[in-house]
Amino acid sequence: MKITYPHMGSLNMILKTMFEGINVEVVEPPPVTNKTLSIGVKYSPEFVCLPYKINLGNFIEALENGADTIIMLGGIGPCRFGYYGQAQKETLIDLGYKFNMIILDPPHGRLVDFLKELSSYFPDVYWKDALKAFIFAVQKMIIADKFEKKLLILRAHENEIGITTKIFEDYMEKIKNAKNKKELDSIYKEGLEKLKQNATIKREIQLKVALVGEIYLMLEPFSNLDILRSLNELGIEVTKTDFLSDYLINSAFKLPQRMEFKKYAHGYLERDIGGHGLNTVANTVKYAEKNYDGIIQIFPFTCTPEIVAQGIIAKVSSDKNIPVMSLSYDEKTGEAGYQTRLEAFKDLLERRRLKNIKKY
Amino acid sequence: MSKKVGIPKGLLYYNFYPMWKTFFEELGAEVVTSSDTCKKIIDDGIKTCVDETCLPVKTFMGHVIDLKEKGVDYIFVPRVISVERRRYLCSKFLGLPDLVRNLISDLPQIIDMKIDYYRGEEFMEREILRVGKLFVDGTSKIKDAYEKSLKRQRTFECIIREGFSNTEAIKIMEGKKLDANTKGDLKIALLAHSYDIMDDYLSMGLINRLKNMGAYVLTTNMIERDKIEKGASKLQKDLFWNYGRDILGAGKYFIESEDVDGVISVSAFGCGPDSITEDLLERDYKRDGKIPFMSITIDEHTGEAGLNTRLEAFIDLLRWRKGEIMA
Ligand code: SF4
Repeated sequence: MKITYPHMGSLNMILKTMFEGINVEVVEPPPVTNKTLSIGVKYSPEFVCLPYKINLGNFIEALENGADTIIMLGGIGPCRFGYYGQAQKETLIDLGYKFNMIILDPPHGRLVDFLKELSSYFPDVYWKDALKAFIFAVQKMIIADKFEKKLLILRAHENEIGITTKIFEDYMEKIKNAKNKKELDSIYKEGLEKLKQNATIKREIQLKVALVGEIYLMLEPFSNLDILRSLNELGIEVTKTDFLSDYLINSAFKLPQRMEFKKYAHGYLERDIGGHGLNTVANTVKYAEKNYDGIIQIFPFTCTPEIVAQGIIAKVSSDKNIPVMSLSYDEKTGEAGYQTRLEAFKDLLERRRLKNIKKY
Repeated sequence: MSKKVGIPKGLLYYNFYPMWKTFFEELGAEVVTSSDTCKKIIDDGIKTCVDETCLPVKTFMGHVIDLKEKGVDYIFVPRVISVERRRYLCSKFLGLPDLVRNLISDLPQIIDMKIDYYRGEEFMEREILRVGKLFVDGTSKIKDAYEKSLKRQRTFECIIREGFSNTEAIKIMEGKKLDANTKGDLKIALLAHSYDIMDDYLSMGLINRLKNMGAYVLTTNMIERDKIEKGASKLQKDLFWNYGRDILGAGKYFIESEDVDGVISVSAFGCGPDSITEDLLERDYKRDGKIPFMSITIDEHTGEAGLNTRLEAFIDLLRWRKGEIMA
């Protein structure tokens, strides 16, 4: 059996660690490129959202490289992600591929159920090994996310454009290949030190922006044209409101986070509407109240829950007097005017800060 | 003086109007609907919504604005979460009242009744009472009104199953006499969300066009439940959108039963769920190849001429297959 799965930010690193920990062979999907995207676009329904298209591209490239088993997440709706796997499977069958597809529908509860379901596909694997592999994978994920959080602040201060990104990528590769927890910790320490040394620029007006929106777009840099890097390179510190570790922990255990979201969104959106709609509204309110300079919402073109959220956060923006910019992405985004929009947003935020300074 | 409740003629209006109307009338309110969809309504909707919003939701916003301009005391914008166990509607229905409130200013009071049959009867009862209290005090009076409205809904659904479109059935319930249209020598299944095909303006009179070309049209709502269930049981994984599931289920059923001459699916531009269901449906029909299939996407720019040409070509194909046109 040769396993593959879709790319989604650091997911690759985690799944690889986990499967190799139980001696299952992995065929990593090749890194997402424009080629991946155009393969995906070619075989996807025209109006389906961008993540679907990239996923499909990943699958085809991985099958071409010899994978024979695809692992995909499912869902219970109402976001259409929950039915991606089924539609993609049919497409791949019609294209003539021979493969097995395992679609993991989220357990209506706990992490243990999820592991059990997974282990039923690998009868030769010892439960204890699997658990060990899983724990180590989670440790990596947590370190990787912590590292990225630092990057998103420090890169706004880098001494030379591109240098921190380079350091970050090097160290992420090291994290990916780390063999044990001790190694992991020292890689992190060293990497952070390096980032700091290369990010010492200070600005009179330091802008802070929160990035909200749909989870895939937020986690997979290719899909959002690496907006985090663009913003950082414009000198803006960014808080990304979703990380894989948060996501897995929150969807595996039903944590109080949901309650927190409901509290923040109250008055604007009164219930979960599927996807990340509620998170988007809640986070917009939350960071507006934390006095961030602006909010940017990113999501796939035609994403239903995010469109509802977009309408609503426009109101939050005027109520709480904070600029909000919504960007939706499809395969054509970035062709024209995209970078200009980011720059214009930055100018707007700067002008607002200047005005406020003058007031006092 | 009785209070005026406005019901927008959009989205699930076509599925539940008789029920909602009865409920409010039994509570002593006067029910008004918005005008039929027209250019102004659509333009108002487009101006209010973000660009990518699907056409049916934009249109709905236009209808809310129409009611606001007409002057009513309340506008009924239900939050329809689920009408069947474990199945939901699209996110936009789940957030509809929030969307309306945040997008349109100076509204009269919105009645945002939650409709969630998944949560069980007790939940519904609480919602009914909460809404009913806006009009009358007595609990039993409210429950009565609800019971009556449910009964009306059942009658309404029966009429549709006899072969009337939802719009026709609404007219019949209001006392009009109409003949069921089961004539026509071609039988065509029209698989779509009700609001995509029942609104004559949005669909450019699709159903009538087909009728005039000699077809007998069968909509998803006219198809018996057991047929849909039979089709849906062939899904690899049960679909969690109930209307999408009805569409796919009916589609799968007709592939097997072969008792229609052709199948047309209609979806709105920008519809999230349809982008998936449409693809699955089309794939099924292509693989099987026995029944001709056509899909139509409606958006605010769909032209009548283009639509007619496509319909005519499709009808010709069906006739030709029936051997009526000599090749
Ligand atoms: S199901 Fe589609 S057309 Fe209907 S409201 Fe949702 S996105 Fe719009």
